[in-house]
Amino acid sequence: MNSIHLQNLSFSIGAKRLLDNVSISVDQGERVVIVGPNGAGKTTLLRCLLGFITKTEGSVTLQEKPLPELSRQEIARMIGYVPQQLESDIPFTVLEFIMMSRYANAQVGGILPKDPDGESIAKQATERTGIQHLENQSMSTLSGGERQKVNIAAALAQQTPILVLDEPSAHLDPKQRESIQQLLGEIGRKSGTTIITVTHDLNWAAMDFDRIIGMSHGRVITDAPPAEFMTTENLLQIFDAHWTVQTHPESGHPFILPTQHSS
Amino acid sequence: MSSPRHFIYFVLLPLAVATLLVMPWLGEHRPSWDVITRPMADDLDAIIFWQIRVPRILLAMLAGMGLSLGGVVFQAIFRNPLATPFTLGVAGGASLGVTLAIFLGLNLTILGVSGVSLAALIGAMGAIAVVYGIARATGNISPNTILLGGVAISFFFASLILLLQYLGDMSDSFRILHWLMGDLSRANADTIFQVLPFVASGALITGFLHRELNLLSINDDLAASCGLHVERMRMILFLAVSLMIAGIVTVCGPIGFVGIMAPHICRLIVGSNHRNLVPASLLFGGIFLAICDTLARTISTSAEVPVGIITAILGGPFFLWLLFRKGRNALID
Repeated sequence: MNSIHLQNLSFSIGAKRLLDNVSISVDQGERVVIVGPNGAGKTTLLRCLLGFITKTEGSVTLQEKPLPELSRQEIARMIGYVPQQLESDIPFTVLEFIMMSRYANAQVGGILPKDPDGESIAKQATERTGIQHLENQSMSTLSGGERQKVNIAAALAQQTPILVLDEPSAHLDPKQRESIQQLLGEIGRKSGTTIITVTHDLNWAAMDFDRIIGMSHGRVITDAPPAEFMTTENLLQIFDAHWTVQTHPESGHPFILPTQHSS
Repeated sequence: MSSPRHFIYFVLLPLAVATLLVMPWLGEHRPSWDVITRPMADDLDAIIFWQIRVPRILLAMLAGMGLSLGGVVFQAIFRNPLATPFTLGVAGGASLGVTLAIFLGLNLTILGVSGVSLAALIGAMGAIAVVYGIARATGNISPNTILLGGVAISFFFASLILLLQYLGDMSDSFRILHWLMGDLSRANADTIFQVLPFVASGALITGFLHRELNLLSINDDLAASCGLHVERMRMILFLAVSLMIAGIVTVCGPIGFVGIMAPHICRLIVGSNHRNLVPASLLFGGIFLAICDTLARTISTSAEVPVGIITAILGGPFFLWLLFRKGRNALID
C-alpha cells in the first residue's frame, strides 16, 4: 500500500517556484531520505506533506486518502513529526511535553477529552528512546541531543504509521548525531514505520535508508536506492560539487570523500 | 495529587474565600459585626457593608480574575512573556470609546447599560476588529503580526485620547483621566452582573482549552503536527479573551499590570502547564486585585486612590524585575 503519494506537486511564492512538478511514492514501512543543497525545496516538500502548506498544485495522498479531505487531527494520527530543533526554553518536563503530542489521540466525549493510556504510552516512548531518566527533568535543562531524542519520543507517542523528520541531527556534535542516527535506524528496522527524513548527511543517507531522493531547484533529480544514487555524476548534478564515492570496507555502503582543497 | 494542585486547592482557594470574608470589614468606617445578619437593612453600617464594600470586593475579584486570565492566554498564544491584553489595543480601544463618549456628552442608557460603557465596549471591539483585520490583510496571522498590529493601534488610540483631552474642557478632561486610571468605585449589583458573564465565559473557554494553550505556547509547527488547527485556535482564544477584557475595561477602566504580575508569579509556583496555571492565575488575580483595591480605598483618609495607580506602582518594578530576570531572551522574544 502507498503510504505517501505525491503527484505533480508544485508550489510557488510569487514568481519563485519552490516545488516544481514533484512526484514521489513511498510504500508502507519504507525508509526514504531526501537530500539536496540549501534551497532545493526539501523542507517545503515536508511542509506540504504535513499539510502546513495548502495552496499547492497537484495532489498529496496519505494512506490512500487525499490530504485536503483530512482534518488536522486525522493528519496527526497518520504522521508523527520531528522538527529540526525546538526553542531551548520550553517550560515543561519531558513527560509533560511527550504527553502533549497525544493531543489528537485523546478520546472526545464527556466534558473534557480523555487519554487514559497517554501516560503509559509516553513512558513506553521514553523507554524506546532511552530517556527514561529524563522524564521529570525540565526541557530547558537538556542538551541538544537529549532534546532531539525527546522530540522523537513525542512523535513515537503519537503512534502514527508515518514518521517525518526535518534534519533530525542538524546542529548536533558528532557523538550526539551518531546516537540519534542509531536510534532512528533501530526504529525504522524494528517498527515497520514509514520514515521520510531530510538530511545533509549523505553518508548517513547511504547507510540507513532504502531510497535516496535528490532534489535541486524544487525538482526531483534522482530517486534511487543508495548504491545507485551515490555516483559522482548524480552528486555533481544535484550539488554541483565534485565528490569521490567509495565503498566502505566493512559495511559495503557507498560513502563520499570531500574534494581536497588546493592550497 | 500533584503539588501544584495542592497549592490551588489548599492555599489559593482558601485565600480567595478569606479575602472575600475579611476585606469588606476593612476601611475607615468599622461596621458592627451584626451587620452580617442584615443584608437588606438601610442603616449606615448595612449600606456601607452590603451596598458598597461587598459589591466592590466582588467586582475587584472578578476583574482581577479576568485580567490575570487575559495575561495567561495572551502570553501563551503570542509566546511573549510581556504580552498582555493592554499591549494589544483592547484597552486602548475601550479608552478611546469612553473618551469620545465623555467628549461628546453621551448620556443615554440602552438596556440598562450606560452610554459610556457601551462606547468602551464598541471601542474595544473596534480595536479587536482592526488588529485582526491587519493580520488578515497581511496574509500572516502570526503572533508577531498581531502583536505589532496591537502595539501600533494602542499608540494611535493613545494619541487620539490625548487630542480629545486637549480639545475638551477641564471637567471632561478630569472625568477622562479618572476613568483612565482604573477605578472600581462604580461597583454595584448592576456592574457585577455586567462583568460576570464576560469573566465566566472567558474562564470556561480557557479552562476547557488548557491543552491547546500548552501546545500554542511551544511552537506553531509542533502544535499543528500534533493535530491543532493553530490559526483557528489562536483566533478563538484571541477573540474570546479580548471580549472578556473589553467587558472588564468597560466597567473598571484600564487597570494595568494585573495581567503580567499574576500569571508570572503563578508560573513560578505551579509551573507552566495551563491545566494548573489557568485556575491558579484566575484565583491569584482575583485575590491580588481585591487586596490592591482595599489598599486603594484605605491608604489615604482624605481621598480614595484609583486602584490602577496601586497596581502600576507594584507592577512597574515587577515588570523591570521580569525583564532583568529573563535577561536578553525577554527582549529578543
